Amino acid sequence: MTRFLTLVSLLILLLSACGSPYKKLRPSGTHDAKTVSSADIAKYRPVYPGLQKALYRCHVDGRFLFKKFHLSGILLFRNFQNGDTRVVFSNEMGFTFFDFGWDGSDSFKVNSIIPQLDKPAVIKTLRKDLELVLVRNTHSVEIFLDGDTIYYRSSLPKGYAYYIVQATKLRRIEIARRKKVATIYPIGKRTDNDMPDSLSIVHHKAHFTIQAKKITDVSAE
Amino acid sequence: MRMRSAVLVIFCSFMTLSAAAQPKGYKPVSNIPAFQQTLAKSTAALQTLQSDFVQTKHLSLLADKISSRGKFYYRKEDKVRIEYTTPFQYLLVMNGGQVMVRDEQKTSRINARNSKMMQSVNRIMLDCMRGSVFSNPDFKVSAYESGTGYLLSMAPASSGMKKMFSQIDVYLSKTSLDVDRLTMTEQGGDYTDMDFTHSQHNLALNDAIFNTR
Repeated sequence: MTRFLTLVSLLILLLSACGSPYKKLRPSGTHDAKTVSSADIAKYRPVYPGLQKALYRCHVDGRFLFKKFHLSGILLFRNFQNGDTRVVFSNEMGFTFFDFGWDGSDSFKVNSIIPQLDKPAVIKTLRKDLELVLVRNTHSVEIFLDGDTIYYRSSLPKGYAYYIVQATKLRRIEIARRKKVATIYPIGKRTDNDMPDSLSIVHHKAHFTIQAKKITDVSAE
Repeated sequence: MRMRSAVLVIFCSFMTLSAAAQPKGYKPVSNIPAFQQTLAKSTAALQTLQSDFVQTKHLSLLADKISSRGKFYYRKEDKVRIEYTTPFQYLLVMNGGQVMVRDEQKTSRINARNSKMMQSVNRIMLDCMRGSVFSNPDFKVSAYESGTGYLLSMAPASSGMKKMFSQIDVYLSKTSLDVDRLTMTEQGGDYTDMDFTHSQHNLALNDAIFNTR
């Protein structure tokens, strides 16, 4: 009997360790309502809306049909006064891989994309990653707490996005269903007006990572 | 301030003048045989070439530009090294049918013979150096001239190239026949200029810089 109870305890411990890391979150008591405006997340957005242009050196690594691939290029974020945003990824020789746009009401548009990337699943994944970074199309935002960490939870078509804030700084963005699907790390964001020095997007299940490091255009030198 | 082009038109006799719109300030080359002879003479003496370049990508519907710079090397007949140095490091070496690409994280080697796309890129670069653009079946080439320069305007003819580019323009100095600028225009309207400067001809270039291993 003792052995049986020990085994059950171990199983419970094991299952709880493998369960959702978000179960321990509790609703925030510091806000009048649990549901808040998406503007509460927007103030932590990695890509500051007032910023006009930012360039990143970008490396993409992944696996498709058991074959590894590596892609590198230049990623441009461009914001406009009217609330529009364009994100363009091109290779080193200038050839455009994709050019995405959002208008002021978060309507998404593919301006161009190369045939090799023009697949619904690829566009959906890239769009989701970039929208989380840009804090676009965030809905039903709720606040949860875990110690001194604030979790801003936004609903996605499947699962949630968690904007995880400590000491008023955005530490990471996590996409989760029952388990964590992807994590976005903005690193080196000094003030609200700064772009992070680097962005790292890790897709845990799809084995797909995007690493972007801020660079200065030579025409700005 | 211009890059020696080695624009020898080996296959100028196959040149077809397309009905593309005439670029502003240019007119169709009036004396094609003379143009061919001049190019052939110019290219024959060129063994190697070294140059700086500034690359500028112009985005459609935007005033924004993305610029980078680096070094360009060519050695007759089929060796090209394009080395981006600022604001990122990126290296592309073409040597015969072998292509080596190196960024900050990874080195990749490709046998161009196994990749239709890489064959096309390889050929475009070498055609610009050797002046053999007119024989490239992937493009229909139009030749124009102004008071100071020539323009070889390449319109994609194959479906593969049509998916990538709407046009590639090679600008040559009329006096030196150096390539001053290469402009690659994409189907979406974005275009990229490569402006070549500080060219040096027939320097002894180390074999190692064209090593793809």
